[in-house]
Amino acid sequence: MREAVEELLTEEEAEINLTPMLDVVFIMLIFFIVTAVFVKEPGIQVDRPTALTALVPDGAAIFIAVSSQNEVWIDGRSVDLSGLKPVIERLHSENPEGGVVIQADNEAMNEFVLAAMDAAKEAGVADVTLAAAVP
Amino acid sequence: MRKHIANIKLEDEENEINLTPMLDVVFIMLIFFIVTASFLRETGLDTNRPEQDQPQVLQDEEGAILVVIDETDDIWIDNRVVDPRAVRANIERLHAEDPDRPLVVQASSTSRAATLVIVMDASRQADVYDISIASAN
Repeated sequence: MREAVEELLTEEEAEINLTPMLDVVFIMLIFFIVTAVFVKEPGIQVDRPTALTALVPDGAAIFIAVSSQNEVWIDGRSVDLSGLKPVIERLHSENPEGGVVIQADNEAMNEFVLAAMDAAKEAGVADVTLAAAVP
Repeated sequence: MRKHIANIKLEDEENEINLTPMLDVVFIMLIFFIVTASFLRETGLDTNRPEQDQPQVLQDEEGAILVVIDETDDIWIDNRVVDPRAVRANIERLHAEDPDRPLVVQASSTSRAATLVIVMDASRQADVYDISIASAN
């Protein structure tokens, strides 16, 4: 009789308490959800100019690349200059806090770089950064 | 007595919620967010572009340091062609004369982006952070 009771008690002790692990996992989950920035990458790599005073902008979400052939890339596609503003507007509405980074190739013409800046400003993005590598 | 204890034990076990499926889901979400988290680090220079609907009066604007980049990527300051390495010194000199002067870069549409970044970088090195970019037509 007494043995049976003891058996039941030891069985209960052998079970692992998952609650503290669950707490940790939930906190990690919330951290990663909050810090997740769904960055829109342009889709091509450009050879960026270098600048000693380049800083890391906070909250960059939309990347526009201007290649050496003066193609404008955004969100994985090459777009026409006239079609750039609607794309920025759409991406900006998904993440209104995020800024725009323009990655211009060394050889890209300023006409296209400045047009991309204008499109971002017209789309209502306040924070426009011109990408430059730290040498 | 034995029956009584067995009943209590069974009821206790039934009352406990099985956390394992939830734990599976939470772990999968955790792994998804860890994998998609892109700690993307892009460096760059802030830009300041004058509004398009405002009249272009940059040439007449009193006080601004005007840096012109022409079609052949030559940099002009004070009506002189300046070597890219000397841009910083020239801007520093003009900045020292009047520290409140903003800088206006007028870039030709066929000039290269590298030249624009050289000028912006030089200006920031010379402690002039109020940089506006205008396009010359």
